[in-house]
Amino acid sequence: MFLSVMTLSLIGVAVAALLFAAATRGATPAPPTPDERLLRLPSHFFADDRATHARPVIPIEVLLLQIERHVRLEQAAAESFRARPTAETLQSATTSPLSGSQMLN
Amino acid sequence: MSVSQAELLNGLSPAQAAQVMALATSIRLASGSTLFELGAAADSLFVVEHGRISLTLPMQVCKHAQDVLIEERVPGQAIGWSALIPPHRFTLKATALLDSEVLSIPRDALTAYFETHPDVGYVVTRNAAEMMGQRLQVFQAMWLREMQRVVELRTS
Repeated sequence: MFLSVMTLSLIGVAVAALLFAAATRGATPAPPTPDERLLRLPSHFFADDRATHARPVIPIEVLLLQIERHVRLEQAAAESFRARPTAETLQSATTSPLSGSQMLN
Repeated sequence: MSVSQAELLNGLSPAQAAQVMALATSIRLASGSTLFELGAAADSLFVVEHGRISLTLPMQVCKHAQDVLIEERVPGQAIGWSALIPPHRFTLKATALLDSEVLSIPRDALTAYFETHPDVGYVVTRNAAEMMGQRLQVFQAMWLREMQRVVELRTS
């Protein structure tokens, strides 16, 4: 009795497997399409890795102008410190695009 | 610029200043032309008479050596103190930003004049020391500000 039940079960499983294989034969798997909702979300919680791969390239002329402006602003700040030497004037901020706070952005 | 306006000659009488300037020859520089190169022999001291001179150092920007502005000199200001200090090599490159004119004072003539006029030599040397001291203080402050930024970037 047990053996006949087991045999019938195996035959059932085999038939189901054959039918499944016949039904899926010839069907190519569809390419995964990105979910638009997921694309709209930030790729990482802390940082967007797309930004690191596509870092904007600053033209060298622009960079040289930024360096020149930075030097002028820093020199003016240092001259202020020399005229009035205090910890505050030494650390005074400038609007230089190369200053630390700007570079972190 | 009149002779008396040259910062190097502060404290000299008009006659003394005129005698020092009599050692000089005038050099005209077209915009963009080089007055001296980094590392060149510093045989003359210069005073800007007209125009504007940039002092630059080479810096690697995007893997290319680029001259980066360090300071600018305007009429009345001196350039090329390396002529007074051994090893007498320029430590910056000087370029005219505009059509400019500078007075060139040969070191040999200047030191010979100072030997015969030590009172003038004392005043000019004191002025040069004052200018160097001011530059040192400014660049100390600039260096510390850059160090502060490096520390902030490393610890942020």
